[in-house]
Amino acid sequence: MIEVRNISKRLPDGRKVLDNISFSVGKGEFVGILGASGAGKTLTLRCLNGLLKPDSGAILMKDASGQVQDICKVSRIRLRKLRQKIGVIFQGYHLVKRLTALDNVLIGRLGQISTFRSLFYGFTDEEAEMASQALEQVKIPQLAGTRVNSLSGGEMQRVAIARAIFQSPNLLLADEPISNLDPSNAKVIMKLIRPLSEFMPVIGVFHQPEMTARYCTRVIAIKEGRIIYDGDPKLSQDQLIDIYGEELRQIENARP
Amino acid sequence: MKYYIPPSRRYRQKAALFSLLALVLAGLCLYLDFNPLMLFTEFHYLGDLLKSMTPPDFNLVWRSKDIPMAVAETVSMAFLGTLFGGVLAIVLAFLAASNTMPFRVVRIPVRLLLVLLRAIPALIVILVFVVSVGLGAFAGMLTLVIGTIGTFGQLFMEVIENTESAPAEAIYSVGASRWQVIRYAILPQAVPSFIANLFYSFDVNIRASIGLGIFGGGGIGFRLFLAMRVLHYRDALALVCLTIILIVLMERLSDALRGRLIGRGTLK
Amino acid sequence: MNGRSFSGKRYRKWVMPVLLLAILAEAAALVCGVRLGSLGKSFISGFSFLAGAIPPDWGAFPELLRPALESVVIALTGTLVGTLVSLLFGLAAASNISPAWLKQTTRLLLGMERSLPEIVILLFLVAAFGLGPFAGVLALTIGCVGMLGKLIGDAIEEIDPVTVESIQAVGAGKLQVMVFGIVQQIIPSVISFALFRFELSIRLSIVLGAVGAGGIGLELYRSFYLLDYHRACSALIVTLVMVLATERLSAFLRKKVRKEGALR
Repeated sequence: MIEVRNISKRLPDGRKVLDNISFSVGKGEFVGILGASGAGKTLTLRCLNGLLKPDSGAILMKDASGQVQDICKVSRIRLRKLRQKIGVIFQGYHLVKRLTALDNVLIGRLGQISTFRSLFYGFTDEEAEMASQALEQVKIPQLAGTRVNSLSGGEMQRVAIARAIFQSPNLLLADEPISNLDPSNAKVIMKLIRPLSEFMPVIGVFHQPEMTARYCTRVIAIKEGRIIYDGDPKLSQDQLIDIYGEELRQIENARP
Repeated sequence: MKYYIPPSRRYRQKAALFSLLALVLAGLCLYLDFNPLMLFTEFHYLGDLLKSMTPPDFNLVWRSKDIPMAVAETVSMAFLGTLFGGVLAIVLAFLAASNTMPFRVVRIPVRLLLVLLRAIPALIVILVFVVSVGLGAFAGMLTLVIGTIGTFGQLFMEVIENTESAPAEAIYSVGASRWQVIRYAILPQAVPSFIANLFYSFDVNIRASIGLGIFGGGGIGFRLFLAMRVLHYRDALALVCLTIILIVLMERLSDALRGRLIGRGTLK
Repeated sequence: MNGRSFSGKRYRKWVMPVLLLAILAEAAALVCGVRLGSLGKSFISGFSFLAGAIPPDWGAFPELLRPALESVVIALTGTLVGTLVSLLFGLAAASNISPAWLKQTTRLLLGMERSLPEIVILLFLVAAFGLGPFAGVLALTIGCVGMLGKLIGDAIEEIDPVTVESIQAVGAGKLQVMVFGIVQQIIPSVISFALFRFELSIRLSIVLGAVGAGGIGLELYRSFYLLDYHRACSALIVTLVMVLATERLSAFLRKKVRKEGALR
């Protein structure tokens, strides 16, 4: 379970990009964060695993020993330990292109093995077998030995998900995971992510309200750095216009 | 197990390859009486040398008129070497490129010449020139000319061959002669690359002329060699500092000049 | 269209630079002691001299194999060690991962090193460590670091930062992030640079040999000075074969790396 308490962030030029954002997500929930571009969705997500530090507020999560830690204030070593249990998938997949799919999945546990071993020996056969099972979970076990730069976008994203699964995380974050994919691949990815929410809170940033309506259990909408909606994933037309602004009404009106 | 190679096997393969290479290298070193561990056992000699080299003795710069002359020699060698070498390289490149020289009878021998000039070690060239025209900067300059042709002849030929053929075809189709095609279609595309490479060549030749000085090519290199020979290490370090300053200055100069030249657009 | 003034104006802007160039060239020629007149005569004497060196001393070839091997090993070791050390310098010289003070210092050092021809470096090393291949390998290593350090630093500055971020996101340690995020991305470039430098190292190894590092360069130089021109010719042929073979090998491997991103 992860709890966000009043995080705010101001840019150097004075603009407030996050304004007292608070929410908490527990196991069993698949939260979709919606909002117009620049509203603050990705910034919020990046605060959740420490890639961005807010100016004020706290993000609380339990670590491996059961103690509650504040991600914003935690030391670097503790942050590393926490991150090992947070899985992240990105819009651009962010895999190491030169390595095989299996190697990329194994990278998920890099933090959990000693530096020496990772540089000189590599992973054990047992770990490789577990990584292979993660690839099976995303339905591409046959691509284990292929180099990632020869895979399609949908396959790459599945490798990224396998990497996150391999971490056995307590939290899964997804930053616009389907924005680069065609609709059929997007559906496949959403279908792979949803069952994971059974074991851990899943928070994803999306630009596709029709997808969040279908697959998420809850939707949070952010506008100009503030949460304006937190609840049922099925949004009405007016609610969508509220989130995305007048342009959406014009687009809707343009439809025959 | 089916779709990937298990890491333990990959590790064994990598370790075996690595050990084999290391063994071969170690064997070669042993065979050639070359002991790389000397780096640690004999490191103190470096310290001794450094102690006898510092502080550098810049007196010799004012002491004799010889050093400014040596600097002038080095720069002139590089300048002329780049100028003549560059011009000759461009000419030969046009003679060797398939889109400017249709006669294989000319192209093949020229290409062979360029390959040969590229492979010939500068060492032999300077030795031969020293025997032919005597010690000094002249021999050095000639060596640099040959060296520049060698390095850039093939390069320029590739530049010419890689120019777009569309403009050339267009100009041919209005009935122009080969010379006109070269001047209006090929040259404008190739000249920026030529100029950029010539400036680079000047940088390279300045360094090379110092190296050649040791074999009798004149310039700072020669004075440096003499200073080391008579164990005047402090003089030698002064000359090295002079070298570094000279090279950095020349680099700045050539960068600025090249910027002005290419920025302005040098094409007729 | 006034044809006359048209062409005049166009070419007038070239008169100044060409004149300047001619003056500089003349001055330089004076300094160098260029004697174009005697050039013709010298070429003839040079050619007849070269002609006298043919045929090569066939018996010398077996003896020359070992020095040739020496030169190759010197170049190989120098390039190999130099490449590994350059990785460290490259990391220190990259503005996206190195603190400003370290980056500036490293780039300055590398720039200064590149100003020194390897021959000059060798002179000093020979003065310190004596003649022999050790000084040669060291000089080549230092030269390699100067060149590759900058190239690798530039390559690291061009990597995709998001891959690095994703490795940080799994909670990997700093060294792991550097190896898996940064180094993995630049490996094809590093191999390419190293192969290119190897070509250069072979040529340098020949010249350095003459100044005291041993190998085929020394044989070449020595034969020349002992007036054993036939032997020198043999040594030259061995050298040419070495250089050409290295060039071919390097070009072939570099093409492979460009296509597949690894040497496999």
